[in-house]
Amino acid sequence: MSSTSQKHRDFVAEPMGEKPVMALAGIGDVLGKRLADKGFDKAYVVLGQFLVLKKDEELFRDWLKEISGANAKQQGDCYGCLKEWCDAFL
Amino acid sequence: MALSSKSADEISELLDEYGIKHGPVVDSTRSLYEKKLKEAMAKGKRAKPSSDKTYYREEEVTYVYRTPVRSEASRDSGTYMRSRPEWSEREYEHETSYSDYSRSRPEYRGRDFVDEPYTYSSPSSYREFYSRSTPVKSDQEAPKSSRLVPLWVQLVFFLAVAVFLYVVFSSMETNESLIGLE
Repeated sequence: MSSTSQKHRDFVAEPMGEKPVMALAGIGDVLGKRLADKGFDKAYVVLGQFLVLKKDEELFRDWLKEISGANAKQQGDCYGCLKEWCDAFL
Repeated sequence: MALSSKSADEISELLDEYGIKHGPVVDSTRSLYEKKLKEAMAKGKRAKPSSDKTYYREEEVTYVYRTPVRSEASRDSGTYMRSRPEWSEREYEHETSYSDYSRSRPEYRGRDFVDEPYTYSSPSSYREFYSRSTPVKSDQEAPKSSRLVPLWVQLVFFLAVAVFLYVVFSSMETNESLIGLE
């Protein structure tokens, strides 16, 4: 199994409910605040965006970079987190 | 080309023209897609407004013509092995040019021989289809679009593959000749 953070494992273990956007893997305080300022204050809103982008990795990464300035690792962690959550619960 | 003034449908169409994979164009995705379109335009990627349809139409037509040509294929069994790999490369590379089609006809025939092993049609039907191809040819050449991959790239790639296959073939031959000597 590739190395996933504890944050990732916690997130994909259960329905996200009302978890804040900072609960997403790859999204820390700084990125979380930027996302929240743009209206993406809950994890499910980012999930919505992920789904509207048809769960496409490249599109989602580009979007995340554009909206929050996330670097490649953060983009990858967030994408992987959401993808796995969707595989389990969607 | 003011992207921000275009409707969502127009943006969606432009994305398709540039071959950019995308989801629905909604408020939250719009700026991303506009940015992608700007990049694609700046890179000078070839947009294909309606030529995609032309491409498929001509591909379809090509298929129809190949079927009755098979009667000649049996006589070409000697060249079959050589022509078949070349043709399969051509199929994927060449879009539509009919001038190429008529020139590379022997290679097409070789391919048909393997894929459709049913009874051969008479040479007369072959001629009938061949004569039919001419009027269509002149019709289709007018709306011929610019190539996705430049022609010289296709030819170079084709030659490279042909050389590679020849090398492989000749190396096989060497082994056999050694066994023959013994």
